[in-house]
Amino acid sequence: MNPQPLDRFAERLRPEVRQSVHLGCAGATQARLTALTRDFEDPEPLRRLAAEIRQHTLDHLDTYLEAAESSMRRRGIEVHFAEDGETARKLILSLLRDHGAQRICKSKSMASEEIELNGFLTRAGIAVVETDLGEFIIQLDEDHPSHVVRPIAHRNRGDVASTFQKHGLGDWDDRPEIITRRARAYMRNQYLSSHAALTGGNFISAESGRLVLVTNEGNARFSLAASRLHIALVGIEKIVPRDRDLSVLLGLLARSATGQHLSVYTEFIAGPKAPGQPDGPEAMHVILFDNHRSTVLASSCREILRCIRCGACMNVCPVYRQASGHAYRHVYPGPLGAVLGPLLRDPAEFPEMADLPKASSLCGACQEVCPVDIPIPDLLLRLRDRTHREKIPSSGSSLPLREWSLLASHPLAWRAALFAGSAVNLLPPALLPSAALRTWSQHRTLPKWRGGAFRAWFRLRRRPGGPEAEALALEAEELLPGTPV
Amino acid sequence: MLPRRPVNRTLPLPHKRLQLMITCLCDAFYADVAQASVEILEHLGCEIEFPEAQTCCGQPAFNSGDWEAARRVIRHTETVFGGNLPIVVPSGSCSAMLQHGNALCFERQPDLPQIVDLGRRAWEIVDYIVNGLGVRCWPGRLAARAAFHASCHSRGSRTTEAASRLLSTISGLELLHPNEPEQCCGFGGSFAVTFPHISTSMGNLKIENLLALEPDFVVSADMSCLMHQQGLAQKQGRPLTVRHFVQVLRDALRNGGFLGPA
Amino acid sequence: MTGDHRERILQSVRDALRPLREHGHPAPYPEYDVASTVASRRLTGGPSWESFRSNLESVHGVFLDSPAALVSYLHSRDAQRGYCDPALASSVRRLLGPDFTLDTVFDRDQIDLYAFGITKAAAAIAETGTVILHDTRTSSRLGALAPWIHVAWLTRDSLLTSLGQAVSSLGDDPNIVFVTGPSKTADVESVIVEGVHGPGEQVVYLSD
Repeated sequence: MNPQPLDRFAERLRPEVRQSVHLGCAGATQARLTALTRDFEDPEPLRRLAAEIRQHTLDHLDTYLEAAESSMRRRGIEVHFAEDGETARKLILSLLRDHGAQRICKSKSMASEEIELNGFLTRAGIAVVETDLGEFIIQLDEDHPSHVVRPIAHRNRGDVASTFQKHGLGDWDDRPEIITRRARAYMRNQYLSSHAALTGGNFISAESGRLVLVTNEGNARFSLAASRLHIALVGIEKIVPRDRDLSVLLGLLARSATGQHLSVYTEFIAGPKAPGQPDGPEAMHVILFDNHRSTVLASSCREILRCIRCGACMNVCPVYRQASGHAYRHVYPGPLGAVLGPLLRDPAEFPEMADLPKASSLCGACQEVCPVDIPIPDLLLRLRDRTHREKIPSSGSSLPLREWSLLASHPLAWRAALFAGSAVNLLPPALLPSAALRTWSQHRTLPKWRGGAFRAWFRLRRRPGGPEAEALALEAEELLPGTPV
Repeated sequence: MLPRRPVNRTLPLPHKRLQLMITCLCDAFYADVAQASVEILEHLGCEIEFPEAQTCCGQPAFNSGDWEAARRVIRHTETVFGGNLPIVVPSGSCSAMLQHGNALCFERQPDLPQIVDLGRRAWEIVDYIVNGLGVRCWPGRLAARAAFHASCHSRGSRTTEAASRLLSTISGLELLHPNEPEQCCGFGGSFAVTFPHISTSMGNLKIENLLALEPDFVVSADMSCLMHQQGLAQKQGRPLTVRHFVQVLRDALRNGGFLGPA
Repeated sequence: MTGDHRERILQSVRDALRPLREHGHPAPYPEYDVASTVASRRLTGGPSWESFRSNLESVHGVFLDSPAALVSYLHSRDAQRGYCDPALASSVRRLLGPDFTLDTVFDRDQIDLYAFGITKAAAAIAETGTVILHDTRTSSRLGALAPWIHVAWLTRDSLLTSLGQAVSSLGDDPNIVFVTGPSKTADVESVIVEGVHGPGEQVVYLSD
């Protein structure tokens, strides 16, 4: 059998990348667990509540979109709508040109990654600087983020030191503290000379029209203190009904993402700066961005839109830990991306992403850690069903499932097969009768076939006093210490 | 939204009559697990029905996306396991399929109600013993170090907690818990052969964590996980003995003289 | 252009939700008590400044409640020049004495010369060790952010119990920021480094 593209990517991954990814993920998984159990008697009800709030919002998204829009307008925020990436890019460029903005500071926004905004703006003659440390390094490397919270999860300190050296940010030094100080010094001048701040948005409250932005580094806050124009690109699903709902979501977001009880900077923005405040934007524009989200809402996977981008699912995911984020070939990696990646692409491109929903052992760890309880394994299964119904060819579909299902619904044939199957005990792995069995046997032994043995034992032992019963007693598979023979 | 797996339930009656589903894996490979299931249930005074026409829970096709094929098998299972007795399964994975996966597979099918009913009657065997029958303490003895593998499909059920509690009452048995217990061993059905590199890498991490405990054996709710772990270890020439929960319970009874020898 | 997009997006959202409205069960809004969202184990000392202090210190924030402590803290950091809210300047000058230079206008060209910034905070949250800055009450966003040390000036009557209480009463201020400890990152190999773009030291000064 030919392995799927994601498996081949994982096989070629450099060991040091896998090592960085594994360490970061294992640490974050532990931090999340510690934070939740340290702070709550039982975090489970909170997770359920967060799920209900998010699902309710999605199920009434039309109402909440209009409510959010009118609340924002009331606050003096200019609200725009963009159906796709092309529209969003042009809109942002025209807003920048209207304000004479040539230099912009950007704080981490996955939505902007979806539309490859940096390249577009740069080609249009706008100087763009990513201000989040990880995203800054990604930008210097002309790389892509491999994680929604830790963009350089796939890079180690040595890589970063080399990047900084190459770009004239000091001699090679791989101490994280030195790297951070250099970024601090460099970025201040960027902030102070920028004309506009471009951000994403973690939430928008429909009730108050407040855009909520969460960072730890303070980069979004700095951009918004130093520049005169604020443009936020926000997915239409990021709305919450009421301000109070933020208490549920913010606490879970921080704990699930990094194990903090709250992120360092949580900014609630409702329009341009206050009169009398010397620093900050004089104009604020929010672009509500669809880019296939309404298609996802119409699909059987709409629960994925509950996502608040904490990254806990990818941290805990054993497949992500082996493959790293770039294996998912999309902005959103891990279990989240295995669902969202194929759906956010143009429907015509679904087939080439169809290996992603299969890239899971369905272990369910992702749902267990998800702060909004997204049934990710169920959604992966629904996408596998879709792949099968749409007859999308893939290298993984060569299991003879139809034949198997006929066998498994005809008991006589099933029992005959149980008996006949013992032939596999005699075959060397290379001659096994199916590609699946041969692939299995490359790395693992097959257990001994004992087809029907239990059935025979069960039937015979029922005869009172039947001597056959003892004769047929099954051989113990391994002797245990202390087991009488 | 789909129904969650039932977690807070008791048996409706003093039900010691049950139907046993032995799973296709035990039917084909692990006959001793099925036998041990019978032995411990009968030791507890249960009356066991074994529907001869049973085959498989349907999971292979369901997980691979061929839901039509899966529904054919599930409908067969629903017919075979008629009546209202509890259905007891020595597998966290197959019971999860019956309790939750089936409903997903039949979401827009006219016979969804019957399929949901089938799931309501399904019990993973240790859950049945501990939370259904109320057994809190296990007799017998077994002097061994057992590495506990919490199988993934037992997530969201009471199996892991029940098994860990019950096994720890066995005299002489030392229960050991590996690092990163939440990490999957990489079996995943067809995943093991369509993503062979990732699957075996996951499995290798798992067996490292298990072997680090220097156990006499690994114990779990699912033979599928154990088949993968043992298959990997054996291929590398490293001995890894595996036991299902029910084999450990049965062996403890034997050692304590509560059951005749094998 | 964006008007057409507005209509089209709303229409696709309505279309997407129609089957759910007609045949399904749209999820209801879960009514809940905001108090139920509190991390009770972070408030073992009750809604008190003591709880606030311990939660602030858990994120490496610094809690000072006497003039002498503030003076000695700034001395220990060799922080002699800083930005100060003009409304606080006279009392701060009295408090700090002649060793310190205070600017009451934040000069962007001097950004590297400010070792500290002192600005008023609107409130604090006991549950999380958070200080809340309002745009209308913060004399300069940069003054509260750019210097290595930020001193948030708080009064004793400004303590809120929980995050839930704080987000449920945001009020009208156009820009509110919750600050919970010093600026930090873990982007490089998950090693936590404090003082990325914002303060490396977040001080809360409780005035009488």
